[in-house]
Formats: sequence, structure tokens, C-alpha cells
Amino acid sequence: MDPMLQVQDLSVHYKTRRGFVRALEELRLDAIQGETVGVVGETGSGKSTLGKAILGILPAGTQVDGKILFRGRDLTQLSNQMYRRLRGEEIALIFQDPMTRLNPLMTIMDHFVEEIRDHESVSADEARRRAREALVSMGIHESRIKNYPHEFSGGMRQRIMIALAIVLKPSLLIADEPTTSLDVIVESQILGILQDLKRAYSMSLLLITHNLGIVAEVCDRVAVLYAGKLVELGPVRDIFRKPLHPYTQGLLSSIIHLETKELHSIEGSPPNMIAPPSGCRFHPRCPYAQSICVERLPPLVEFEPGHFAACHFGDKFL
Amino acid sequence: MISPDRLAQPELGDEILRLDNLNVHFPVKMPFVQRLLQREKAVVHAVDGVSFSIHSGEILGLVGESGCGKTTVGKASVRLLNPTSGRIFFAGQDISKIGGRSLRTLRRKMQIIFQDPHASLNPAMAIGRAIGHPLWIHGSEFGIQNLSSTVFRERVQQRVLSTMREVGLTPEEQLYDKFPGDLSGGQKQRAVIARALILEPDLLVVDEGVSMLDMSIRAKVLELMLDLKRQHGLTYLFITHDLATAKFICDRLAIMYLGRIVEIGPARDIYADPKHPYTKALLQVVPIPDPDKRKEKVLPRGEVPDAVHPPAGCRFHPRCPAVLPSCGWEGRDFVDFLDEHLSDPKRAGDDELVLGPIENWRTNGLVASLEAKPLNIEEAVERVKAVLAEAPIAMAQAIESVSTHKRTVIIHFRPPNELRQTQVGDRIVECLLYQ
Repeated sequence: MDPMLQVQDLSVHYKTRRGFVRALEELRLDAIQGETVGVVGETGSGKSTLGKAILGILPAGTQVDGKILFRGRDLTQLSNQMYRRLRGEEIALIFQDPMTRLNPLMTIMDHFVEEIRDHESVSADEARRRAREALVSMGIHESRIKNYPHEFSGGMRQRIMIALAIVLKPSLLIADEPTTSLDVIVESQILGILQDLKRAYSMSLLLITHNLGIVAEVCDRVAVLYAGKLVELGPVRDIFRKPLHPYTQGLLSSIIHLETKELHSIEGSPPNMIAPPSGCRFHPRCPYAQSICVERLPPLVEFEPGHFAACHFGDKFL
Repeated sequence: MISPDRLAQPELGDEILRLDNLNVHFPVKMPFVQRLLQREKAVVHAVDGVSFSIHSGEILGLVGESGCGKTTVGKASVRLLNPTSGRIFFAGQDISKIGGRSLRTLRRKMQIIFQDPHASLNPAMAIGRAIGHPLWIHGSEFGIQNLSSTVFRERVQQRVLSTMREVGLTPEEQLYDKFPGDLSGGQKQRAVIARALILEPDLLVVDEGVSMLDMSIRAKVLELMLDLKRQHGLTYLFITHDLATAKFICDRLAIMYLGRIVEIGPARDIYADPKHPYTKALLQVVPIPDPDKRKEKVLPRGEVPDAVHPPAGCRFHPRCPAVLPSCGWEGRDFVDFLDEHLSDPKRAGDDELVLGPIENWRTNGLVASLEAKPLNIEEAVERVKAVLAEAPIAMAQAIESVSTHKRTVIIHFRPPNELRQTQVGDRIVECLLYQ
């Protein structure tokens, strides 16, 4: 099957007073229909930048190179007007904090009607009918559609946001830390909802998160980002069973879960993104670093079918 | 009131902190007119009858979801909040009512660390100065009269540098003059820990102290905390929502739900064999980092209810998967269930016409009543019974009667059994299943 989304050599450089912040460098990633791809990384890895780049909501003046092909169309070349049509209709975003998406002065109904009528020329009645349907499908009583965002609990707000994101039946859903601000039990509920929706509408889901536990539970494939570079990409089982990049290995062993007997961490701290380290960006923190790692940027190599890593010594970990 | 931990772990040191039936209630802000009209004052029952003790050199984990009152307990323990009632003992001294100078002297012995290290540090104050700041504040307690003397200034600097070394904030000479903005998240949290340690406290309250740190550096900070415990015999109250971290670092765990401790005992035992259904639910949702161990989860329904009107009986009963008829069912539980039932058009059919809208229902304690005066009251009663047939069995069984009175349908619930804290092995559990 042809990938629905193909990110090709995408670089995003933010302009700041201190210089360009190289948030993403030559990233390659694709997603086929009905697939959940986890994008994993820590603070400053560029994972949120990727979501924003796909949706075309990067700040003005940001330098973007490379291509983002969505169903064969390059999104980086799209006009603002075309982009507006695409957002919501084809690609939708779920934010971390629902209150940043919901307008406190608008009722839930108004949010839905605005979203629907911006994209489709339907009557107000029809829009309202579909709004009720979307809300009920998330398990919220339709009588509450006239309420304001603050009248709902955190979990309900997140469900409303999901309902808003899927009301136009997009084929790609980008969820940026969708459960980080929620309680653990509600987090589990929301992840269940996302899984069900994905199956029901055969959507693709790009799940951006720092939580590897969630990735293990819901993703089909995983992309690991470090300091703006894709360091490893592969099926979720391969990544967890046989991580090939030392950063992925470090990240996996630093998860604290119920069976943890010993604490592990990665030495050092994430690099300065204005002047990232030479060669492999992970080399200052890497326990296996050799001189070649300082000098040359490791290419992304397919070590096993579908399992890529950007490490000079990736074959050692096979 | 309850201190079985002494029996269970006799090797423990002296009691550092003891909470005795602590209550912290916050008034709800409301408009003036509403305040006049309302007879009863609305209060948030943030903490409602919490008792536990921590012994020297121990780490007690206080675990729960947001809004369960764990942060309030932490703040009250170091008297950043005043308890509404109940008592707080620090090293045997009742500190629940002290204030002013004596409280300030005491603060030297108890410190608190918050979740966000960035918000805890003044962006305009150099790191070294920030870490040494508590010494200036408490200087007189070290017997120093002239705080501006060069001798004192030098002594402070030496102490700051050695504390920075101790928490791994190195190279300390270079970092001394840096500002918080120049430091990484992990370094900032180390600076906050150093600032708390410089007064050599006996008790450290850590409120979600590692939750904001990236995974790869979180372990380092936890290790530091464990080292400090070993080297200085430091005692911790470790507040977190993350059961996996708590399990790793804590000696004992207290699980909180809506202002109450529902289970408390040795961390290892709670993990191996959770007793309270809420503890079981929390353990179940901890993600397992293994794609081959994916499994369906049986989750508690809904979300944490409002702490202004906590549920009767056991506060967890409306969400509990193991609920009994005697757990505290009341009128509003039925109305909540009916609301849910009517929300689903497939299940509800035309029930809305007879039983809705939901606003027509009134509840008062154990009673729920439909005030709409339905045309056919017999049918309304039948419909209520049909809805109840789909309700959780425990709720249906808790109903004493569905009756009518002057065209009003009235549902009566049986009063719940009294909930007591029960000793189960070396644990205390607040659940009817173990009474």
C-alpha cells in the first residue's frame, strides 16, 4: 500500500535572536493507512515540531526544507487557503491541553458548528445534528452541548476535543501528548477511545509522546527522535526487543515500571540546539562513542527489514 | 489513632511526622447573592480525616490522582497550609497551631520541593545565591549576629559549594554564578534540592519532584534522593501520581482517593497484593513497556467526582468494579446512571419521554424522585425498574423501594454500612470487603 504520509528529508530551523535552532534535520518518516506511528523523544527532540510542520502551523519566518507528501501532495508548497481546507478535513490535531483548543467563551455546540461550516456548506441544522452525533459517540449527553468548556471535567474536555477532531472524518490524526495532562486512569480510557476510533474509521494516528509505556501499548511502529534527528525507526516489537541505537537503548532502560529493579539513566544532558554536536548528535552522551562518531554523521541504515537506525555501530547490536 | 507500622517494622527510627485525623477544607468562592441564599457553606473536602506517621530514615509515598488531596497533605505537613482540624506532630511536638517565630525555626527542619524546578527558582538570582539564601534567612539560628560580615559570607559560600558538590551540581565553581535559564531541567531540580538540603532538614516533602524531568535524567535525581537518605538519614514524604516510581523509591505507600487514605502499608506488599479496588485499578493502568504484554484493562468508570459533595459511604463506590450493595449508594448515583443511560440513544429508546429530562429528578441523600408528574405513573415506575435492571447489580440491590406518592416516583436506597479502617496483615485498608 502507498503510504498516506511521507515526510522526506524534512528540516525545520526556527529563527531566534541567538541564531537558528535546528529543531529537525533531514527527517524521513511515513505512515500507511490505519497505522499508529509513535513519535518518541524527550524535551527538545523536535517531536512537537514535526506535528506542527505537518499541519503547517509553524511560526512565521521558520525555515522549512524537504517535502511532506500527503496522499502524494506536497504540503510544504500548499497555499494558506488550501492548507485551511486540509486541516480538520484531512488532517486533525489533538493537543495536550484541551483548554488551549477550546474557546472558553464559546459553547461546545458553537465549536462544532464553526468547525463543520468552515469546511462544508451545510445548513446550521445539519451541522448541529452532526455535532450532537459526534458528542454522543464520545459518551457525553447531548443536552450538555450548550455548556461551556469549563463546565466539563478534564477527561470530558479531552473527549470533546477528540470529537471535534474527528467530526470531519480526517484520515490522519496527529495526537501531541494527548494524555499527559490527564490522570492515569482517564489516560487509559482516552487511549482506549483513540484505538477504537482508529479501527472504526481506519484512520492513521501519529502519536507524539515521551511516554514509552504508552507507545508499547498502542503503537504499530515507532520513530525515535534525538536532538532533531531520527535515530531509529521500526516495528514496535523490534524497537523494544532489539533497540539498535544506543539512545533508544538508554531510553528504554531508563523507563521506571513496576518490575524495575535498578535505576538506569543516560549520562549528560540534551545538547544545545543552536550549535548541536558534530557527527552523531548523541556522541557526547553515548557509552560506545568512537572517533568516527565525532567526525561523521551516521546515515539511516536499514539493518533489518523495516528496522532503521542511524548509528555507525548499529550492526553490533543485531 | 493508628500506628501499626511500629509493630510491622520494629527496626524503624523515631517518629518524625505524625498526622492525627487531619482535615483541610477550603471554602468555595461564590457570588455574594448566592452566598446569602445558600444556608450551608460549600467547602471542598480536600483532606478528610487523614492519619499516618513517618519514621526517621523512611520514605513514605503518598499516591493518588489529581484532586485527591495529596499535595494538600504535603503542604499541611510543613504548615504551608493551616489544618481545619486534627493535629500534626513533628518530632513529638504538636505543630498544628504554632506560628510566627517558632514555626520559622521549625521550617529549618522541614523542607518542601515542588514539581516545577523552573518555577521554584528566581530567574534573576544566580544559582549559588539561591542555594545559599536559606542560610541568610535562618542565619540568626546558627548563632550569627552580623549577617553582613565577611566571615559569614565566606562560610555561606563554602557551604553552598559543598552542597552543590553533594547533589552533583558540578563543576560547582562555574555553575555558582549561572542563572536558572542557563541550566538544564535536571540541573535546576538539583539546585532546588541543594537549596532544601543546605539547612540540613530532618524531613523533606517532595511533591511530584521528578514528574517534569525527562525519562533519561529522572533516574539520576531519584538516585540522588536515595543517596541522601542513606548518608544523612533523611526522611521523605514522597508525593506522586506515578505508582511505578513510588514503588521503586518508597518503603511504605499510602494510596489516597478524594481526601481519604484508602490503603496504607509496605510498598512491596501493596504491589504484590493490592487490597483496595482503587489500588488495584491504579496498578493496572501503569503502562507495561512490552508490546507483547498488551491486554484489555477493566477500568473504573468515569472520573474522580467533585470534592465539594463527595459520595456517601466509600468515596470510590460509584466507580468501583467490586462494589457491594452496602457501599454507600444514594439518590444521585441513580440519577447519574440514568443520565448515562439516556445519553446513549441505542439503550435509551424513548425512555427520555417518560423519565427525562434529567433536570426533573431531585435527590436528597438516600432518596431520588421524579417531580415531573408523568401522565402514566405506573409506566414511569416500570421504566425505572427496567433501567435498574441494566444498572450495576450492587446499585439495584441497594434499592429499598420504588414507590409513588401523589404522582411522584420515589426511589429509596438502604442506608450504607459504616466504613471503618481495617487492619489486614500489616496494612490498613478502608473497604467493606475486608471488614
